[in-house]
Amino acid sequence: MTDTAIAAPPADLVADDPGAGRVVLAGVSKLYAKNWAVKSLDLEIAAGEFISLLGPSGCGKTTTLRMIGGFELPDEGEITIGGTAMGTTPPYRRPVNTVFQSYALFPHMSVAKNVAYGLKYAKVPKADIADRVADALGMVRMQHLASRMPAQLSGGQQQRIALARALVNRPAVLLLDEPMSALDRKLREEMQIELKLLQQQLGTTFVFVTHDQEEAMTMSDRIAVMNGGRIEQIGSPAEVYDRPSSAYVAGFIGQQNFFEGTVTGADSTAVAVQVADGAVHATRGGDVAPGAAAVVAVRPESIAVADGPAPDEPNAVTATLMSVSRLGSYLQVVTITASGQKVMARVPWGVEIPATIGATVTCRWPADAPMVYPA
Amino acid sequence: MTALALPAPRTAGRRLRWSIGVLAAPITVWLLFFFVAPFLVILWYSFGRKPSLYVTHANDVLSLDRYVEALNPTFLAVFGRTLQISLIGTLLCLVIAFPMAYWMAVKLPARLQGIALALVLVPYWTNFLVRTIGWQIVLSPTSFVADISRGLGLGTPQLLYTPGAVQLGVVYNYLPLMILPLYVTLERLDHRLLEASRDLGANALETFRRVTLPIVMPGIAAGLLLVFVPLMGDYITPSVLGGAAGSMVGQQVATQFNVAQNWALGSAMAIVLMIAILAVVVVFALLFRLVKALVDRHERVAIVEAEA
Repeated sequence: MTDTAIAAPPADLVADDPGAGRVVLAGVSKLYAKNWAVKSLDLEIAAGEFISLLGPSGCGKTTTLRMIGGFELPDEGEITIGGTAMGTTPPYRRPVNTVFQSYALFPHMSVAKNVAYGLKYAKVPKADIADRVADALGMVRMQHLASRMPAQLSGGQQQRIALARALVNRPAVLLLDEPMSALDRKLREEMQIELKLLQQQLGTTFVFVTHDQEEAMTMSDRIAVMNGGRIEQIGSPAEVYDRPSSAYVAGFIGQQNFFEGTVTGADSTAVAVQVADGAVHATRGGDVAPGAAAVVAVRPESIAVADGPAPDEPNAVTATLMSVSRLGSYLQVVTITASGQKVMARVPWGVEIPATIGATVTCRWPADAPMVYPA
Repeated sequence: MTALALPAPRTAGRRLRWSIGVLAAPITVWLLFFFVAPFLVILWYSFGRKPSLYVTHANDVLSLDRYVEALNPTFLAVFGRTLQISLIGTLLCLVIAFPMAYWMAVKLPARLQGIALALVLVPYWTNFLVRTIGWQIVLSPTSFVADISRGLGLGTPQLLYTPGAVQLGVVYNYLPLMILPLYVTLERLDHRLLEASRDLGANALETFRRVTLPIVMPGIAAGLLLVFVPLMGDYITPSVLGGAAGSMVGQQVATQFNVAQNWALGSAMAIVLMIAILAVVVVFALLFRLVKALVDRHERVAIVEAEA
């Protein structure tokens, strides 16, 4: 589908001032109806970075984005863009443009007029406006739709117009508020790749808000996982996936099997936890003390399934095989232990599952797989 | 790929049109019997004459004499005042109603909007005559307003039976008819469009001019029509508040029918009034079109639509 492709951006849209796209949030808080929507948030976004604010609804990610855009003013703290403190600067004076969740295209204007809307205020000479609009529409391969009205466009087309309308103004920072949530899955996956490529070529700072962890993983240089108005963890997609700093992050990014238990031994190199169905020995130490309650997280892809009951050794539990389903390139195996704990495993397509449904199996994982968190 | 998967425009099938015809039958019959037929009768009467003191109309001799008679200096003076009161009244309604409707639709929390709407509607549902007589009491020389004026040593103001009293009365009486269509369009206005406009560099005034105003324009047009048309023909408000100095065309027509018993002349006056209303509406519609075309021309973005 070349219709969805995004072309290489025209040279004049590429960010040329490397410092302009740096965003710093220092101790930013926002109070909504006596609740902290965002609480003492510190965040430094490098110029040219693609950062995602990831979290469930109500975690403060959209509020944070709206404060950068100037649609909300922080009750505490300061937001700095390109070295300039924003204070109470209104949205129309910030070097920032937004792609809205609903696209918010002006329904009474053609595609070309929508894209040209902001150029008037950017003091672009009238003679250059048509060229700039044509370039931006060409970048999202929508030039042939310039005279259409927004209502005549599909969701994907509208989204690309919204992108062109924002980028044509050469913002130092582009804010994207769940722009893909209305697209169907296939189109969304294509757009994720296009958007990432476009961002790399433009060098513009992208701040992307999403509740979809796969989307964040696909596109971001860094992901800020948010919860209850705070950033739980910030890091590269690999860091937040492989070394989640809390049980919350572990559960939010990717799938997890959680076991609750009691710490029986802990030192700087290993932790032992007794759970209902056996013992866990984790070589990646957590911040837990012996005797304390703990939560153990094991990724489904770390778990191997074998026939027959588990031997009396750590990192193996006996379970009953409940279902096996093919999901793309892997098999999802669901088992339930004697204590009623559901254990999910994810094994590559082609690996034999040596048992039938209802059989007793062993779920086993290597000692470097479990993450241990305080309960 | 250049072909676009756009939904084909829905064409009205023959069966669809047939069913619409059936559904439109009751209103068609209603309008034919109670609007078109009486209108044609009035039109017919306007070409006739009043043959004698005890006969209201006759069409034995057809002429345009009643129109000549209608356009006498007295009638034209009243007509001019009617037009002035109506245009100023409609404009005042718009100026007062817009901030009100905007506040109701945009600023007020959803749960309070119903209450605000009720506060607009309840006076409107109160009998027109009773409401207007209420103003007669307020404006009379024995009212508390006059008392306050006298207390301040300003003497007894002449408020009642002036064109000003009529102007006040019509704005009061027709205001809800402006607020309601404006509220409906403003309530449907997507606030994110306003944010998008500000995001793209437009300040509040520019956002209002380029986004809010064009989108709510149908509501403004509906409000202007809903106020201006009945206002031109109003005769209760000037009868109660206007006296001789503040009379309007509607009273002139009513006088010919009810007092002078000259239905031919009354019909001619009514037709003149209708033509005038139509002419004003058409002139303003054309003016609006012209302004819109000029603005569009000014903001045109010419793009060569190359195939992708």
